[in-house]
Amino acid sequence: MNKDKFRYWLDFNIALAFKEIKARYKYTVFGFLWMFLNPVLQMLVIGFVFRFFVPVRVDNYFLFLFSGLLIWNFFSISITRATPMFVYERSLIQKAKFPREAIILSIIFSNLFHFVISIFLLLIFVFLTSSVSVKGLLLLPVIVVWLTILTSAFSLIFASLNVRFRDVNFLIQAIMPIWFYATPVMYTINLLPKNLYWLFHLNPMTSLVELMRYSILNIPLSNSTFLISGLFITILILIISMKYFKKENIYFDDWL
Amino acid sequence: MKKTRKNTVILAKNISKSYLLRTERPTAIEKIFSKKKTNRRFALKNININIKQGERVGVIGNNGSGKTTLLKILAGITQPTSGKVLVRGKVVSIIDITAGFHLDLNGIENIFLNGLIIGLRKQEINQRLDKIIKFIDIGDYINAPLYTYSAGMILRVGFSVAIFSNPDILLIDESFAVGDEIFRKKAIQKFEEFAEQQKTLVVVSHWPGFIKKNCNRVIHLKKGKIVHDGGLDLLDLYFTMPQC
Repeated sequence: MNKDKFRYWLDFNIALAFKEIKARYKYTVFGFLWMFLNPVLQMLVIGFVFRFFVPVRVDNYFLFLFSGLLIWNFFSISITRATPMFVYERSLIQKAKFPREAIILSIIFSNLFHFVISIFLLLIFVFLTSSVSVKGLLLLPVIVVWLTILTSAFSLIFASLNVRFRDVNFLIQAIMPIWFYATPVMYTINLLPKNLYWLFHLNPMTSLVELMRYSILNIPLSNSTFLISGLFITILILIISMKYFKKENIYFDDWL
Repeated sequence: MKKTRKNTVILAKNISKSYLLRTERPTAIEKIFSKKKTNRRFALKNININIKQGERVGVIGNNGSGKTTLLKILAGITQPTSGKVLVRGKVVSIIDITAGFHLDLNGIENIFLNGLIIGLRKQEINQRLDKIIKFIDIGDYINAPLYTYSAGMILRVGFSVAIFSNPDILLIDESFAVGDEIFRKKAIQKFEEFAEQQKTLVVVSHWPGFIKKNCNRVIHLKKGKIVHDGGLDLLDLYFTMPQC
Protein backbone atom coordinates (compact mmCIF):
# COMPACT_ATOMS: atom_id res chain seq x y z
CA MET A 1 0.00 0.00 0.00
CA ASN A 2 1.50 3.32 -0.96
CA LYS A 3 1.36 6.45 1.13
CA ASP A 4 -1.55 8.10 -0.62
CA LYS A 5 -3.64 4.96 -0.45
CA PHE A 6 -2.86 4.52 3.21
CA ARG A 7 -3.80 8.12 3.86
CA TYR A 8 -7.15 7.53 2.19
CA TRP A 9 -7.66 4.32 4.11
CA LEU A 10 -6.95 6.11 7.36
CA ASP A 11 -9.19 9.09 6.54
CA PHE A 12 -11.93 6.73 5.57
CA ASN A 13 -11.73 4.81 8.82
CA ILE A 14 -11.61 7.94 10.90
CA ALA A 15 -14.58 9.44 9.05
CA LEU A 16 -16.64 6.32 9.60
CA ALA A 17 -15.65 6.14 13.26
CA PHE A 18 -16.67 9.75 13.81
CA LYS A 19 -19.91 9.06 12.03
CA GLU A 20 -20.47 6.26 14.55
CA ILE A 21 -19.74 8.53 17.49
CA LYS A 22 -21.63 11.55 16.19
CA ALA A 23 -24.69 9.59 15.17
CA ARG A 24 -24.80 7.90 18.55
CA TYR A 25 -25.10 11.15 20.49
CA LYS A 26 -27.18 13.17 18.10
CA TYR A 27 -30.52 14.22 19.53
CA THR A 28 -29.73 13.21 23.07
CA VAL A 29 -30.18 15.95 25.65
CA PHE A 30 -26.76 15.44 27.23
CA GLY A 31 -24.98 14.87 23.93
CA PHE A 32 -21.31 14.05 24.23
CA LEU A 33 -21.59 14.32 28.01
CA TRP A 34 -22.87 10.75 27.86
CA MET A 35 -19.36 9.64 27.08
CA PHE A 36 -18.41 10.61 30.61
CA LEU A 37 -21.74 9.97 32.29
CA ASN A 38 -21.92 6.40 31.14
CA PRO A 39 -18.75 5.09 32.77
CA VAL A 40 -19.38 7.14 35.91
CA LEU A 41 -22.87 5.69 36.28
CA GLN A 42 -21.42 2.25 35.72
CA MET A 43 -18.83 2.85 38.42
CA LEU A 44 -21.50 4.03 40.85
CA VAL A 45 -23.70 1.02 40.24
CA ILE A 46 -20.88 -1.45 40.63
CA GLY A 47 -19.55 0.39 43.64
CA PHE A 48 -22.93 0.36 45.29
CA VAL A 49 -23.70 -3.29 44.61
CA PHE A 50 -20.34 -4.54 45.78
CA ARG A 51 -20.31 -2.67 49.04
CA PHE A 52 -22.70 -5.30 50.28
CA PHE A 53 -21.61 -8.26 48.27
CA VAL A 54 -17.96 -9.18 48.00
CA PRO A 55 -17.44 -12.67 46.62
CA VAL A 56 -13.65 -12.54 46.38
CA ARG A 57 -11.17 -11.52 49.03
CA VAL A 58 -9.04 -8.86 47.45
CA ASP A 59 -8.28 -5.38 48.63
CA ASN A 60 -10.54 -2.86 47.07
CA TYR A 61 -12.83 -5.21 45.17
CA PHE A 62 -14.57 -2.32 43.48
CA LEU A 63 -11.45 -1.22 41.61
CA PHE A 64 -10.49 -4.84 41.01
CA LEU A 65 -13.81 -5.49 39.30
CA PHE A 66 -14.13 -2.22 37.46
CA SER A 67 -10.74 -2.38 35.80
CA GLY A 68 -11.48 -5.90 34.58
CA LEU A 69 -14.94 -4.98 33.39
CA LEU A 70 -13.58 -2.06 31.42
CA ILE A 71 -11.38 -4.40 29.39
CA TRP A 72 -14.06 -7.01 29.03
CA ASN A 73 -16.83 -4.61 28.02
CA PHE A 74 -14.74 -3.11 25.25
CA PHE A 75 -14.00 -6.56 23.92
CA SER A 76 -17.49 -8.01 24.14
CA ILE A 77 -19.47 -4.95 23.07
CA SER A 78 -17.24 -4.43 20.04
CA ILE A 79 -17.47 -8.03 18.91
CA THR A 80 -21.20 -8.38 19.44
CA ARG A 81 -21.82 -5.19 17.54
CA ALA A 82 -19.36 -5.86 14.75
CA THR A 83 -20.35 -9.44 13.94
CA PRO A 84 -23.60 -8.72 12.05
CA MET A 85 -22.25 -5.47 10.59
CA PHE A 86 -21.41 -6.63 7.06
CA VAL A 87 -24.94 -7.93 6.76
CA TYR A 88 -26.46 -4.73 8.14
CA GLU A 89 -24.42 -2.62 5.76
CA ARG A 90 -25.26 -4.77 2.77
CA SER A 91 -26.79 -1.91 0.81
CA LEU A 92 -23.49 -0.10 0.97
CA ILE A 93 -21.36 -3.15 0.20
CA GLN A 94 -23.45 -3.97 -2.84
CA LYS A 95 -23.30 -0.49 -4.22
CA ALA A 96 -19.90 0.98 -3.64
CA LYS A 97 -16.29 -0.04 -3.73
CA PHE A 98 -14.46 0.96 -0.60
CA PRO A 99 -12.25 -0.72 2.01
CA ARG A 100 -14.82 -2.93 3.67
CA GLU A 101 -12.81 -3.62 6.79
CA ALA A 102 -13.54 0.01 7.66
CA ILE A 103 -17.09 -0.96 8.57
CA ILE A 104 -15.69 -3.15 11.34
CA LEU A 105 -12.77 -0.94 12.32
CA SER A 106 -14.99 2.12 12.66
CA ILE A 107 -16.94 0.32 15.36
CA ILE A 108 -13.75 -0.68 17.14
CA PHE A 109 -12.35 2.86 16.88
CA SER A 110 -15.49 4.49 18.20
CA ASN A 111 -15.57 2.06 21.12
CA LEU A 112 -11.88 2.66 21.67
CA PHE A 113 -12.61 6.35 22.01
CA HIS A 114 -15.09 5.64 24.78
CA PHE A 115 -12.77 3.10 26.34
CA VAL A 116 -9.93 5.59 26.62
CA ILE A 117 -12.22 8.15 28.25
CA SER A 118 -13.31 5.53 30.78
CA ILE A 119 -9.69 4.68 31.55
CA PHE A 120 -8.95 8.32 32.28
CA LEU A 121 -11.93 8.56 34.59
CA LEU A 122 -10.81 5.43 36.36
CA LEU A 123 -7.29 6.81 36.71
CA ILE A 124 -8.61 10.01 38.26
CA PHE A 125 -10.54 7.94 40.75
CA VAL A 126 -7.51 5.79 41.55
CA PHE A 127 -5.32 8.88 41.99
CA LEU A 128 -7.77 10.31 44.47
CA THR A 129 -8.26 7.17 46.53
CA SER A 130 -4.96 5.31 46.46
CA SER A 131 -1.51 5.44 44.93
CA VAL A 132 -0.49 4.59 41.40
CA SER A 133 2.87 3.32 40.22
CA VAL A 134 4.29 5.16 37.24
CA LYS A 135 5.85 1.95 35.98
CA GLY A 136 2.44 0.35 35.78
CA LEU A 137 0.94 3.28 33.94
CA LEU A 138 3.53 3.00 31.21
CA LEU A 139 2.04 -0.39 30.50
CA LEU A 140 -1.41 1.07 29.72
CA PRO A 141 -0.75 1.98 26.07
CA VAL A 142 0.58 -1.53 25.47
CA ILE A 143 -2.61 -2.98 26.92
CA VAL A 144 -4.80 -0.71 24.81
CA VAL A 145 -2.95 -1.58 21.60
CA TRP A 146 -2.98 -5.30 22.30
CA LEU A 147 -6.66 -5.25 23.22
CA THR A 148 -7.54 -3.27 20.09
CA ILE A 149 -5.67 -5.66 17.82
CA LEU A 150 -7.22 -8.71 19.46
CA THR A 151 -10.73 -7.25 19.32
CA SER A 152 -10.33 -6.18 15.69
CA ALA A 153 -9.06 -9.60 14.68
CA PHE A 154 -11.96 -11.43 16.30
CA SER A 155 -14.51 -8.93 15.02
CA LEU A 156 -13.23 -9.12 11.47
CA ILE A 157 -13.28 -12.89 11.25
CA PHE A 158 -16.67 -13.27 12.94
CA ALA A 159 -18.20 -10.59 10.74
CA SER A 160 -16.74 -12.15 7.59
CA LEU A 161 -17.93 -15.61 8.56
CA ASN A 162 -21.35 -14.19 9.32
CA VAL A 163 -21.76 -13.15 5.69
CA ARG A 164 -21.94 -16.78 4.60
CA PHE A 165 -23.11 -18.38 7.79
CA ARG A 166 -25.62 -16.24 9.58
CA ASP A 167 -25.44 -18.64 12.50
CA VAL A 168 -22.24 -16.98 13.62
CA ASN A 169 -24.16 -14.05 15.00
CA PHE A 170 -26.24 -16.30 17.24
CA LEU A 171 -23.21 -18.27 18.24
CA ILE A 172 -21.40 -15.13 19.35
CA GLN A 173 -24.37 -14.01 21.41
CA ALA A 174 -24.33 -17.37 23.15
CA ILE A 175 -20.58 -17.59 23.56
CA MET A 176 -19.93 -14.13 24.99
CA PRO A 177 -21.49 -14.74 28.44
CA ILE A 178 -19.62 -18.03 28.73
CA TRP A 179 -16.42 -16.36 27.65
CA PHE A 180 -17.02 -13.76 30.35
CA TYR A 181 -17.02 -16.39 33.07
CA ALA A 182 -13.98 -18.03 31.50
CA THR A 183 -12.10 -14.77 31.93
CA PRO A 184 -10.98 -13.75 35.41
CA VAL A 185 -13.00 -10.57 35.58
CA MET A 186 -14.98 -11.25 38.74
CA TYR A 187 -12.50 -13.59 40.38
CA THR A 188 -8.80 -14.27 40.59
CA ILE A 189 -7.27 -17.26 38.88
CA ASN A 190 -5.70 -18.70 42.01
CA LEU A 191 -9.20 -19.50 43.29
CA LEU A 192 -9.45 -22.15 40.61
CA PRO A 193 -7.86 -25.61 40.45
CA LYS A 194 -4.62 -25.81 38.51
CA ASN A 195 -6.04 -28.33 36.02
CA LEU A 196 -8.20 -25.57 34.56
CA TYR A 197 -5.21 -23.44 33.65
CA TRP A 198 -5.07 -24.67 30.06
CA LEU A 199 -8.31 -22.76 29.54
CA PHE A 200 -6.72 -19.50 30.57
CA HIS A 201 -3.79 -20.21 28.32
CA LEU A 202 -6.18 -20.41 25.40
CA ASN A 203 -7.92 -17.19 26.36
CA PRO A 204 -5.87 -14.08 25.55
CA MET A 205 -8.32 -12.00 27.57
CA THR A 206 -6.84 -13.52 30.72
CA SER A 207 -3.55 -11.73 30.28
CA LEU A 208 -5.23 -8.49 29.29
CA VAL A 209 -7.42 -8.37 32.38
CA GLU A 210 -4.51 -9.29 34.62
CA LEU A 211 -2.19 -6.81 32.96
CA MET A 212 -4.75 -4.08 33.47
CA ARG A 213 -4.93 -4.87 37.16
CA TYR A 214 -1.19 -4.97 37.42
CA SER A 215 -0.92 -1.65 35.66
CA ILE A 216 -3.50 0.23 37.69
CA LEU A 217 -3.78 -1.60 41.02
CA ASN A 218 -0.37 -3.22 41.16
CA ILE A 219 -1.85 -6.69 41.57
CA PRO A 220 0.83 -9.16 40.41
CA LEU A 221 0.21 -11.45 37.46
CA SER A 222 -0.81 -14.94 38.49
CA ASN A 223 1.36 -16.67 35.93
CA SER A 224 3.56 -15.05 33.33
CA THR A 225 3.21 -17.93 30.85
CA PHE A 226 -0.33 -16.65 30.19
CA LEU A 227 1.30 -13.66 28.57
CA ILE A 228 3.24 -15.75 26.10
CA SER A 229 0.34 -17.98 25.10
CA GLY A 230 -1.99 -14.98 24.97
CA LEU A 231 0.34 -13.09 22.67
CA PHE A 232 0.83 -16.12 20.49
CA ILE A 233 -2.91 -16.69 20.11
CA THR A 234 -3.51 -13.03 19.35
CA ILE A 235 -1.02 -13.12 16.49
CA LEU A 236 -2.46 -16.38 15.23
CA ILE A 237 -6.03 -15.05 15.22
CA LEU A 238 -4.89 -11.85 13.54
CA ILE A 239 -3.21 -13.74 10.70
CA ILE A 240 -6.13 -16.12 10.18
CA SER A 241 -8.60 -13.27 10.34
CA MET A 242 -6.79 -11.13 7.79
CA LYS A 243 -6.22 -14.06 5.43
CA TYR A 244 -9.86 -15.09 5.54
CA PHE A 245 -11.12 -11.55 5.10
CA LYS A 246 -8.80 -10.92 2.18
CA LYS A 247 -9.94 -14.06 0.47
CA GLU A 248 -13.64 -13.58 1.12
CA ASN A 249 -14.37 -9.86 0.97
CA ILE A 250 -14.28 -9.71 -2.83
CA TYR A 251 -17.20 -12.14 -2.89
CA PHE A 252 -19.28 -10.48 -0.15
CA ASP A 253 -21.57 -9.01 -2.76
CA ASP A 254 -22.60 -12.49 -3.93
CA TRP A 255 -23.79 -13.43 -0.47
CA LEU A 256 -25.51 -10.30 0.68
CA MET B 1 -1.25 12.87 -17.61
CA LYS B 2 -2.02 13.31 -21.26
CA LYS B 3 -3.33 10.25 -22.98
CA THR B 4 -3.75 9.54 -26.64
CA ARG B 5 -7.28 9.44 -27.79
CA LYS B 6 -7.57 5.83 -28.71
CA ASN B 7 -6.43 4.32 -25.43
CA THR B 8 -8.41 1.40 -24.20
CA VAL B 9 -9.56 2.18 -20.67
CA ILE B 10 -11.92 -0.71 -20.01
CA LEU B 11 -11.20 -4.17 -21.27
CA ALA B 12 -13.40 -7.11 -20.36
CA LYS B 13 -12.05 -10.41 -21.60
CA ASN B 14 -14.51 -13.24 -21.78
CA ILE B 15 -16.05 -12.54 -18.40
CA SER B 16 -18.79 -14.66 -16.91
CA LYS B 17 -20.56 -14.33 -13.63
CA SER B 18 -22.62 -17.08 -12.13
CA TYR B 19 -24.58 -17.12 -8.92
CA LEU B 20 -25.84 -19.96 -6.84
CA LEU B 21 -29.56 -20.06 -7.29
CA ARG B 22 -31.03 -20.69 -3.91
CA THR B 23 -34.21 -20.10 -2.08
CA GLU B 24 -32.46 -20.39 1.26
CA ARG B 25 -28.95 -19.50 2.17
CA PRO B 26 -26.90 -22.52 3.14
CA THR B 27 -26.15 -22.63 6.84
CA ALA B 28 -23.04 -24.21 8.27
CA ILE B 29 -24.99 -27.27 9.33
CA GLU B 30 -26.54 -27.77 5.94
CA LYS B 31 -23.20 -27.39 4.26
CA ILE B 32 -21.70 -30.18 6.28
CA PHE B 33 -24.59 -32.60 6.11
CA SER B 34 -25.90 -32.22 2.63
CA LYS B 35 -24.04 -32.37 -0.61
CA LYS B 36 -26.89 -31.10 -2.70
CA LYS B 37 -26.08 -30.24 -6.26
CA THR B 38 -26.14 -26.51 -6.53
CA ASN B 39 -27.97 -24.80 -9.28
CA ARG B 40 -25.84 -22.13 -10.90
CA ARG B 41 -27.31 -19.35 -12.97
CA PHE B 42 -25.31 -17.16 -15.25
CA ALA B 43 -25.89 -13.45 -14.84
CA LEU B 44 -23.28 -12.77 -17.50
CA LYS B 45 -21.86 -15.16 -20.02
CA ASN B 46 -18.70 -14.70 -22.08
CA ILE B 47 -18.79 -10.95 -22.28
CA ASN B 48 -16.13 -9.19 -24.32
CA ILE B 49 -16.04 -5.43 -24.19
CA ASN B 50 -13.41 -2.95 -25.21
CA ILE B 51 -14.12 0.63 -24.28
CA LYS B 52 -11.79 3.40 -25.37
CA GLN B 53 -11.15 6.66 -23.66
CA GLY B 54 -13.84 9.22 -24.32
CA GLU B 55 -16.45 6.70 -25.31
CA ARG B 56 -19.83 7.13 -23.72
CA VAL B 57 -21.55 3.81 -23.56
CA GLY B 58 -25.20 3.25 -22.78
CA VAL B 59 -26.08 -0.25 -21.61
CA ILE B 60 -29.66 -1.32 -22.27
CA GLY B 61 -31.60 -4.49 -21.73
CA ASN B 62 -34.56 -5.92 -19.88
CA ASN B 63 -34.67 -6.50 -16.14
CA GLY B 64 -32.38 -9.34 -15.19
CA SER B 65 -30.31 -9.12 -18.33
CA GLY B 66 -27.11 -8.52 -16.38
CA LYS B 67 -26.69 -4.78 -16.74
CA THR B 68 -26.07 -4.03 -13.10
CA THR B 69 -23.88 -7.08 -12.66
CA LEU B 70 -21.72 -5.86 -15.52
CA LEU B 71 -21.46 -2.45 -13.95
CA LYS B 72 -20.56 -3.93 -10.57
CA ILE B 73 -17.81 -6.01 -12.10
CA LEU B 74 -16.38 -3.01 -13.93
CA ALA B 75 -16.54 -1.05 -10.69
CA GLY B 76 -14.76 -3.79 -8.76
CA ILE B 77 -17.63 -4.29 -6.33
CA THR B 78 -17.75 -7.95 -7.21
CA GLN B 79 -15.46 -10.34 -9.06
CA PRO B 80 -16.29 -12.22 -12.24
CA THR B 81 -16.50 -15.99 -11.87
CA SER B 82 -14.19 -16.33 -14.84
CA GLY B 83 -12.50 -13.99 -17.26
CA LYS B 84 -10.47 -10.88 -16.80
CA VAL B 85 -11.24 -7.20 -16.37
CA LEU B 86 -8.74 -4.43 -16.86
CA VAL B 87 -9.68 -0.89 -15.97
CA ARG B 88 -7.33 2.03 -16.36
CA GLY B 89 -7.80 5.33 -14.57
CA LYS B 90 -9.80 6.59 -11.65
CA VAL B 91 -13.21 4.95 -11.56
CA VAL B 92 -16.21 6.33 -9.75
CA SER B 93 -19.29 4.18 -9.69
CA ILE B 94 -22.75 5.32 -8.75
CA ILE B 95 -24.97 2.31 -8.45
CA ASP B 96 -27.11 3.98 -5.84
CA ILE B 97 -26.13 7.53 -5.03
CA THR B 98 -27.74 7.52 -1.63
CA ALA B 99 -26.23 4.26 -0.38
CA GLY B 100 -23.64 5.84 1.90
CA PHE B 101 -25.86 8.38 3.57
CA HIS B 102 -26.60 8.62 7.23
CA LEU B 103 -29.93 10.26 7.88
CA ASP B 104 -29.01 11.67 11.29
CA LEU B 105 -26.02 13.59 9.96
CA ASN B 106 -26.29 16.91 8.18
CA GLY B 107 -25.67 17.70 4.54
CA ILE B 108 -22.02 18.65 4.85
CA GLU B 109 -21.17 15.64 6.99
CA ASN B 110 -22.85 13.47 4.40
CA ILE B 111 -20.91 15.09 1.58
CA PHE B 112 -17.70 14.00 3.29
CA LEU B 113 -19.01 10.54 4.08
CA ASN B 114 -20.32 9.90 0.61
CA GLY B 115 -17.27 11.45 -1.00
CA LEU B 116 -14.97 9.11 0.87
CA ILE B 117 -17.15 6.15 0.00
CA ILE B 118 -16.95 6.81 -3.71
CA GLY B 119 -13.20 7.11 -3.40
CA LEU B 120 -12.36 10.80 -2.98
CA ARG B 121 -9.50 11.88 -0.79
CA LYS B 122 -10.37 14.06 2.16
CA GLN B 123 -8.45 17.09 0.90
CA GLU B 124 -10.13 16.74 -2.49
CA ILE B 125 -13.51 17.04 -0.82
CA ASN B 126 -12.30 20.00 1.20
CA GLN B 127 -11.15 21.74 -1.96
CA ARG B 128 -14.45 21.17 -3.75
CA LEU B 129 -16.80 21.60 -0.83
CA ASP B 130 -17.93 25.12 -1.77
CA LYS B 131 -18.54 24.12 -5.38
CA ILE B 132 -20.48 21.04 -4.34
CA ILE B 133 -22.66 22.99 -1.91
CA LYS B 134 -23.31 25.59 -4.55
CA PHE B 135 -24.27 22.93 -7.06
CA ILE B 136 -26.63 21.22 -4.64
CA ASP B 137 -28.25 24.59 -4.07
CA ILE B 138 -30.60 23.82 -1.20
CA GLY B 139 -29.74 26.80 0.98
CA ASP B 140 -29.67 26.41 4.75
CA TYR B 141 -30.80 22.84 4.51
CA ILE B 142 -27.19 21.89 3.98
CA ASN B 143 -26.69 22.23 7.75
CA ALA B 144 -29.81 20.28 8.66
CA PRO B 145 -29.92 16.53 9.23
CA LEU B 146 -30.74 14.49 6.18
CA TYR B 147 -34.00 13.12 7.52
CA THR B 148 -35.51 16.57 7.14
CA TYR B 149 -34.75 16.53 3.40
CA SER B 150 -37.16 15.66 0.66
CA ALA B 151 -36.28 12.67 -1.50
CA GLY B 152 -35.27 14.95 -4.34
CA MET B 153 -32.92 16.93 -2.10
CA ILE B 154 -31.16 13.77 -0.93
CA LEU B 155 -30.64 12.70 -4.52
CA ARG B 156 -29.24 16.12 -5.31
CA VAL B 157 -26.61 15.75 -2.60
CA GLY B 158 -25.59 12.31 -3.82
CA PHE B 159 -25.52 13.31 -7.44
CA SER B 160 -23.49 16.45 -6.81
CA VAL B 161 -20.81 14.63 -4.83
CA ALA B 162 -20.51 12.08 -7.62
CA ILE B 163 -20.36 14.67 -10.36
CA PHE B 164 -17.58 16.58 -8.62
CA SER B 165 -15.54 13.47 -7.97
CA ASN B 166 -13.71 14.16 -11.21
CA PRO B 167 -13.16 10.58 -12.35
CA ASP B 168 -11.59 9.33 -15.56
CA ILE B 169 -14.33 6.78 -15.85
CA LEU B 170 -17.83 7.27 -14.54
CA LEU B 171 -20.13 4.27 -14.11
CA ILE B 172 -23.77 5.09 -13.48
CA ASP B 173 -26.81 2.96 -12.86
CA GLU B 174 -30.18 4.47 -13.74
CA SER B 175 -32.00 6.59 -11.18
CA PHE B 176 -30.16 9.81 -11.86
CA ALA B 177 -33.08 11.53 -13.48
CA VAL B 178 -32.90 13.51 -10.31
CA GLY B 179 -34.46 16.65 -9.04
CA ASP B 180 -36.58 19.17 -10.80
CA GLU B 181 -36.17 20.60 -14.27
CA ILE B 182 -33.65 23.25 -13.19
CA PHE B 183 -31.40 20.76 -11.48
CA ARG B 184 -31.69 18.29 -14.32
CA LYS B 185 -30.51 20.93 -16.75
CA LYS B 186 -27.50 21.59 -14.57
CA ALA B 187 -26.81 17.88 -14.42
CA ILE B 188 -27.04 17.43 -18.17
CA GLN B 189 -24.68 20.34 -18.62
CA LYS B 190 -22.17 18.62 -16.35
CA PHE B 191 -22.42 15.47 -18.44
CA GLU B 192 -21.68 17.51 -21.54
CA GLU B 193 -18.58 18.93 -19.85
CA PHE B 194 -17.58 15.36 -19.14
CA ALA B 195 -17.86 14.53 -22.79
CA GLU B 196 -15.77 17.52 -23.78
CA GLN B 197 -13.06 16.48 -21.35
CA GLN B 198 -12.83 13.09 -23.08
CA LYS B 199 -13.98 11.23 -20.00
CA THR B 200 -15.36 7.75 -20.31
CA LEU B 201 -18.93 7.12 -19.32
CA VAL B 202 -20.83 3.87 -18.89
CA VAL B 203 -24.52 4.30 -18.17
CA VAL B 204 -27.20 1.76 -17.51
CA SER B 205 -30.46 3.38 -18.38
CA HIS B 206 -34.02 2.88 -19.47
CA TRP B 207 -34.31 6.46 -20.49
CA PRO B 208 -33.70 6.59 -24.25
CA GLY B 209 -33.64 10.36 -24.25
CA PHE B 210 -30.67 10.43 -21.92
CA ILE B 211 -28.71 7.83 -23.87
CA LYS B 212 -29.43 9.57 -27.11
CA LYS B 213 -28.15 12.82 -25.75
CA ASN B 214 -25.13 11.61 -23.83
CA CYS B 215 -23.91 8.40 -25.38
CA ASN B 216 -22.21 7.51 -28.61
CA ARG B 217 -22.28 3.76 -28.27
CA VAL B 218 -24.98 1.33 -27.18
CA ILE B 219 -24.60 -2.16 -25.78
CA HIS B 220 -27.70 -4.30 -25.62
CA LEU B 221 -27.65 -7.15 -23.14
CA LYS B 222 -30.06 -10.04 -23.23
CA LYS B 223 -29.97 -12.87 -20.70
CA GLY B 224 -26.37 -12.19 -19.86
CA LYS B 225 -25.09 -11.95 -23.38
CA ILE B 226 -24.32 -9.07 -25.66
CA VAL B 227 -26.77 -9.11 -28.54
CA HIS B 228 -25.85 -5.76 -30.04
CA ASP B 229 -22.91 -3.49 -29.68
CA GLY B 230 -22.82 -0.44 -31.85
CA GLY B 231 -24.01 3.04 -32.57
CA LEU B 232 -27.01 4.98 -31.40
CA ASP B 233 -29.19 3.63 -34.23
CA LEU B 234 -29.65 0.53 -32.08
CA LEU B 235 -31.66 2.61 -29.71
CA ASP B 236 -34.55 3.17 -32.06
CA LEU B 237 -34.58 -0.50 -32.83
CA TYR B 238 -34.69 -1.46 -29.18
CA PHE B 239 -37.21 0.99 -27.93
CA THR B 240 -39.62 0.59 -30.77
CA MET B 241 -39.35 -3.18 -30.67
CA PRO B 242 -42.16 -4.91 -28.79
CA GLN B 243 -40.60 -6.06 -25.53
CA CYS B 244 -40.69 -9.80 -25.16
